[in-house]
Amino acid sequence: MAWTKEEELRLRKVIKDSGVNLLKENLVQGTWGNTAVRLDEDHMLVTPTGLDYVALQPEDMPVVQISDTSVWSDGKKPTSERKIHAAIMADRPEINATIHSHPVWCSVLASARIELPVMSDEMQKLVGGSARVGSYGLPGTKSLRVGTVNAMKGRNACFMANHGVFCAGRDMDEAFEIIRVMEKSCREYIKQCTLKITGQLEYSDELLFDYFVSKYGK
Amino acid sequence: MIDNKIKETVTSYAAKVVAEGMSGKGDRIAMRTKDGFCVNDAEVSLCDLKPENLIELPLDTDDKDYVVIARLFAKRPEVHAVLYTHAPFVCAVARAKATIPAVLDDMTQIVGLNCKTCKSATTEDLVKGLSSRNSVLVPGGGALTVGRTMDEAYTCALVLDKASHAYVCGSVLGGNKTINCIEAKLMNVIYQKKYSKINQQNISKREGE
Repeated sequence: MAWTKEEELRLRKVIKDSGVNLLKENLVQGTWGNTAVRLDEDHMLVTPTGLDYVALQPEDMPVVQISDTSVWSDGKKPTSERKIHAAIMADRPEINATIHSHPVWCSVLASARIELPVMSDEMQKLVGGSARVGSYGLPGTKSLRVGTVNAMKGRNACFMANHGVFCAGRDMDEAFEIIRVMEKSCREYIKQCTLKITGQLEYSDELLFDYFVSKYGK
Repeated sequence: MIDNKIKETVTSYAAKVVAEGMSGKGDRIAMRTKDGFCVNDAEVSLCDLKPENLIELPLDTDDKDYVVIARLFAKRPEVHAVLYTHAPFVCAVARAKATIPAVLDDMTQIVGLNCKTCKSATTEDLVKGLSSRNSVLVPGGGALTVGRTMDEAYTCALVLDKASHAYVCGSVLGGNKTINCIEAKLMNVIYQKKYSKINQQNISKREGE
């Protein structure tokens, strides 16, 4: 164990707060989504599977071995997506905090499986370029894990097809900045696409709804 | 007499529906009780809902304002909460009388394999529309969602709203790629029988059921 008890307690609180903050900022619904923080080169703390973020306590977060995620201790059963968090941390030594979540606007692009171009200097700085889409896979499967790791190469965020978004930062604060800029950028991209397809100059939700009803209405 | 814990649960979730921008004219929020169910008075919007505005009705009520909810509770014993809400993107899909396909995996888990707009807003069609799903759209109206707890019904409404965003916005992005039916069914069964089971049991105790 290459970390102090004091540091572990601090990081347990970071994980607990990250779940609550995802809910508060409407970046997740229910118990879906999960977060992780690195303890050392081969260990991380992750959120448990399927439990209410508000009710969770710092001591509920399990310690998971990065090189073999079947090995875990000191908490409740870890998220089934722990292999993705571990794969990113193993691949990227500079990454110390990861978030997988299902926020609204990122989910739109994940469902359309569209690569998000760089929308701002802020996105370029935080994400490191466009946000690619990882190949589709059922939750907890190898294909979802491999697809996410490949889409994250050289980037700090990617979409997971029909699933959500994955973000990685040097600490949890940076990972939150990344997920926020991804939401903002996705929303702006959808507005631009709406204006382009309708030929209008000013965006409104009503403009989008009218286009949708004209195209899909019965 | 309605248990205070249930009153507290219903009013707190009504406030959440309003805060999320999902409220509109004709909203309902209902929770099963020992003797039937409690629901907001049809004259009172969720924005103004207070514990004293909740009424309790039996499951065999024929009151036209609440009969759909009564029939849903009667037909599905596992359901303990019903919401009728009007999130703008959901209403756009209901206006188009469209069916939201399996666009997101959390949608397939909590809502069902898709979410249809019913043929009509009759009690029979709405109850039938919810026989194998946790949500259905009312043509020209909003969405009915159900759950084993109020928290689950509310989460279902949030996820449906997100799926509606994906489907509506997909129209300007070249369309959605959908999840195949077998995988959608698999995720739905795992969510209902395994993933959510312990959490729903914990929440049920907290909500006063």
